[in-house]
Amino acid sequence: MKTLVVGTVPVEKFPYYLGTPSFDGKNLVLDQKILPVGMGTLSLYSATYLTIAHLKGESPTLMTVGDIGKADGSRILYQKLIEEIEELKPNILTLHYVMPIITLARTLGLKLQKMSSKPIVVADAGFMYAFKASKMGHVCNIFTPDAGEMAFLVDKDAVHPAYIERHLFEIDSANVELLIEKVKNVEGLPKMLVIKGAIDYIVLEGKTLFKIDYPMVPYLEPIGGTGDTLTGILTGLIAHGLPLEKAAFYACKINRIAGQLSNPTPRTRVNEIILNIPKAIDLVLKI
Amino acid sequence: MERGLIVFDHVKDAFKAEKVLKASGFQIELTIPPKDMVKGCDLAISFNLNERLAVERALMWNGVQYSNIIDVVKFSTKPLDVVKKVDYGDTIMFRCGAMKITIDKMNGIILNISGGGCPDVPYLFLQLVGKKIFEAKNPTTIGYSLCAYSLGKAFEEALKFYENSCRWNSSS
Repeated sequence: MKTLVVGTVPVEKFPYYLGTPSFDGKNLVLDQKILPVGMGTLSLYSATYLTIAHLKGESPTLMTVGDIGKADGSRILYQKLIEEIEELKPNILTLHYVMPIITLARTLGLKLQKMSSKPIVVADAGFMYAFKASKMGHVCNIFTPDAGEMAFLVDKDAVHPAYIERHLFEIDSANVELLIEKVKNVEGLPKMLVIKGAIDYIVLEGKTLFKIDYPMVPYLEPIGGTGDTLTGILTGLIAHGLPLEKAAFYACKINRIAGQLSNPTPRTRVNEIILNIPKAIDLVLKI
Repeated sequence: MERGLIVFDHVKDAFKAEKVLKASGFQIELTIPPKDMVKGCDLAISFNLNERLAVERALMWNGVQYSNIIDVVKFSTKPLDVVKKVDYGDTIMFRCGAMKITIDKMNGIILNISGGGCPDVPYLFLQLVGKKIFEAKNPTTIGYSLCAYSLGKAFEEALKFYENSCRWNSSS
């Protein structure tokens, strides 16, 4: 399966890149430029890369560009996707860090909708915000919010998690199930949500299919990038051919176990966890 | 009292304007732009419309860019500023919206930053993690987005917590 991961990297003026970087366990090498794996698109890509490599699949492609928040790189990514997605023809498209720009997300959504063989679309981070705010989330197959982002999805008028209603923020992690109940009434969202947190929830059309709370690894939440690795593993398992529900369930398990194998504390960096993904895959899928 | 709204092309400019106008003594509030002007990651500033000329002058003198000033706008939504915390023993995490910052209680070192979706979040991680919170720059001074705004709120609470615990330790 052809997998395309799209998102920005936090390096100002880093040139547009489309290709398959090499990964040495610590760094990604893109056209001889070395980027250390930290939180963000690079952890997501590395998790996808390792998952697919371990399951002996076709290496994922990365589409990226530098953006430190000025939206210059983000605009390039939206534009490239809109212009080239039909030619690239990925089977799976995972969209990650980007500046949410409603008009461009809407154009991209319409483009995806019109494709004769639309890829499976997983959206996280800024792309998830942009699709939700533009009410085009239904073109995606999966969103991967955390509890705070669930409150944002439930608040139908919010255009960014910074603008959610205070009462929803009060609820969020304390009562994710109430948010799941409320999200049923929101239009313009994908059918499946993989909600990351102390307990992971896999929700299909408003119904909770799975609640995953084992192993309980409370220190994962403060570690930057552990949500990115979950989305990355999920992408890799979908590329391996698992149905979306199963891929989501196993991704949550594998991410928890990779975390547990790292003996994490709030000081742990995500690259320590990423290296445990192959072992966690073996333990969960009993390979 | 009639309110006016300053609209910006970039969140970073709103951060700068907030600083300038507050320092000049204006009663202002950060808020969301009107629905038909929202681009996705935006911030506007409301102010007393009677002070329009003085506000414009303050922005001009300080070189703050803005895209428009709207005369009469009804608005009610301001960005979230509530911060929650999770205590892990020797470390503590502060969260505003989707943004989280974790510090070491003993020495104030920023241990981790997580959550969010705007492209400056990984950049802020690189700029801030490993630094002492009382020496680090507020994310709103180096970030560009609403995620930076939320992280700034969490950062301020973490700094307050650390300063209070230092005061408490030195007095006991």
